[in-house]
Amino acid sequence: MIRNVLILLVSIVVYLNFGITNFLFILFSILTTYIAAKFLEKRSKKIILTIAIEINAFILIFFKLYGANLFPSLEENWNLVAPMGVSYYTLQVISYLVDVYKGKYKAENNFFYYCLYIFYIPHLFIGPISRYEDMKKQFLTPTKISFTNLYNGALRFAWGLLKKLVIAGRASIVIATITQGGEIYQGAYALLAMLLYSIQLYTDFSGGIDMVMGVSKMLGIELQENFDSPYYAQTIKEFWRRWHISLSSWLRDYIYIPLGGSRCSKIRKVVNTLITFLVSGFWHGANYLLWGILHGIFVLLGDTLKTKWKWLNRGITFVLVSFLWSFFIWSNTGEAVRMMGSVFTTWNIVDLGNNILNLGLTFADWVVLLVFTLVLFVFDGNKSKIIQKVKKWSPEVKTIILCSILLCIFILGIYGIGFQVDDFIYSKF
Amino acid sequence: MKTKLRVITIVIIFLLLFIFFNRLLQPKYMDTLVEGSMISQYYHEPKDHEVVFIGDCEVYANFSPMVMYEKEGIKAYVRGSSQQLIWQSYQILKETLHYEIPKIVVFNVNSMRYDKNSKEVSEAYNRLTIDNMKWSQEKIDIIQDSMTEDETFLSYVFPILRYHSRYDELTAEDFEYLWKRKDNTYNGFLINKNIKGVTSLPIQRRLAEYQFSEECYQYLDKITNLCRENNIQLVLIKAPSLYPYWYDEYDEQIRNYANEHDVDYYNLKNYVDEIGIDYSVDTYDGGLHLNLTGATKLSEFFANLLKKNYDLTDYKGDEIYEEKLKEYKETIQ
Repeated sequence: MIRNVLILLVSIVVYLNFGITNFLFILFSILTTYIAAKFLEKRSKKIILTIAIEINAFILIFFKLYGANLFPSLEENWNLVAPMGVSYYTLQVISYLVDVYKGKYKAENNFFYYCLYIFYIPHLFIGPISRYEDMKKQFLTPTKISFTNLYNGALRFAWGLLKKLVIAGRASIVIATITQGGEIYQGAYALLAMLLYSIQLYTDFSGGIDMVMGVSKMLGIELQENFDSPYYAQTIKEFWRRWHISLSSWLRDYIYIPLGGSRCSKIRKVVNTLITFLVSGFWHGANYLLWGILHGIFVLLGDTLKTKWKWLNRGITFVLVSFLWSFFIWSNTGEAVRMMGSVFTTWNIVDLGNNILNLGLTFADWVVLLVFTLVLFVFDGNKSKIIQKVKKWSPEVKTIILCSILLCIFILGIYGIGFQVDDFIYSKF
Repeated sequence: MKTKLRVITIVIIFLLLFIFFNRLLQPKYMDTLVEGSMISQYYHEPKDHEVVFIGDCEVYANFSPMVMYEKEGIKAYVRGSSQQLIWQSYQILKETLHYEIPKIVVFNVNSMRYDKNSKEVSEAYNRLTIDNMKWSQEKIDIIQDSMTEDETFLSYVFPILRYHSRYDELTAEDFEYLWKRKDNTYNGFLINKNIKGVTSLPIQRRLAEYQFSEECYQYLDKITNLCRENNIQLVLIKAPSLYPYWYDEYDEQIRNYANEHDVDYYNLKNYVDEIGIDYSVDTYDGGLHLNLTGATKLSEFFANLLKKNYDLTDYKGDEIYEEKLKEYKETIQ
């Protein structure tokens, strides 16, 4: 109990640090959904559910549209900033309401636990998007702070930090050089930016999630895994089972299945899939609708593009996903499409080869980037085996690994004066 | 118990490795950018100086204590550093007083023109002054007084946080001077034999504001008071550089301050002919700093000036200084 009180207090203090307006928004979401759930429990009326969801979804939708510069007149007069974590906690409160409405579990009587669920600061900014029943179990399980948890948590945290600072940090330098370099960086440069962005986004996001998991582990709280070696997927459909799992499963449970899922006509299934991916795109930002639709189309294509060679499938999927990340790299949709096209029209691979050391990284930096990406790739390919082994490691081995990771971060991390340590990419969605 | 012991041992080994990398990655300032090593060379000097200089490059490039010793038997030390700002000079003086109480402190007032909002305040220069200072209250204060917006105190405690990206820039110098250091100066004087005479100077533009900031005056007051409390004669000087321009308005303010606070002020630009400085040969960078010949002329003149006006001991014949002088002469030949 003391642990939970402390977590809530620290979470509120940290959140308050982002300003009282942010705090009022999140409090509004908590109060409206907490009260609505209580009503839903007594009278299971769809109108209450609809109103509560709509109010909260409206805030999220408004800020997504506002973020895409769709309200220029508003922008002139108001300096609005989306509340921190609104994309995450809105999905959480909606899942809670729907679950209570469907009778999956009872509405929470204890306001403290509900606040703790939403405010739980480690997962508030980049997820994973947790479900209430899972979190409540975690909060209720009496946990002593144990050395095993501390060690494992610290290891996970350090591994995440390494991914963020050593790999993502380096990749971001090259991508920034290419995207800010103007017309000369097309063709092979654009392709390099896409492939590197795949690595950056994955290491940035999964690194952040590792850190969240690590802190939670230290506190004795187990969160849902958000990644399952996504770049080992052989199709885009499989990719979405492995990438941002908490969002994918949320979309499945609260959008796709309520729309009818796959137990319906073929046309309806196509529509349901496209709507789900449209929502997914919109959740990332109103600029990413096309990205969502394209993913939806590739999901519908399913195994059509699949060959009998699994490594070729993985390669094709990786390249496809990388191409589609273009919408994230070049936030202007037209520019993203032009850059994708330039890969096929501008043949400048030799120029890229000659210029590779002028993209912001030294030779040693490229070696570090490639070596650590390779380490990550091998790790991802043998994840379950490695995790099992880690669990069996003696404290001595764990200490050596932890200290080595920390030393790598201190020396090879991209941070400090002269470097821009970006916020986690997914904290901006 | 055995496990705990082993874990502790591993942690200690990694802490040692951490310390090792802190040292390895920090610039050594031995063969390149030697200005960064000057502040620390003072620590292994005998602390019996009667004259201590504080200030920016205009002191370490222009005043040679060895010449002052040879000429008048004065034991002097220059605690100068690149772009040493007045709040840094104050802390360096405070630190110096923990080691010795000189008879005279000479402060070059050039830094009065820069307050904490000046664009001249930069992390790179801060590092040259602060990185190699020994840990003391003064070092803590100087860091806090000097830090720019991007800097963190922790990066001064653990230099790896600042210099980690040097991992692919390490040179033989970093390994050679990992644990030992060599002296690059003679009592704080940095020898430069190059000649780059004055050919032209930038246009002397009128400034919108000549008034020294309140902040700089406060630090000058602190320096004055510190000297007074320790019975030290404070001598304000302006070294005879041609650029950046030392405006008459600046000069007047320092003159007034000196009169009001009963300290001496010498604008050495006014003695250029008497000193015999020839800016076509006595400077290594077109008039900003004097070279060896210029510094020798100025040091002889200034040693004479100090000897005439203040009660200083003639240490000629001192064993250590004679040895140093011999070495100095070999170096400058």
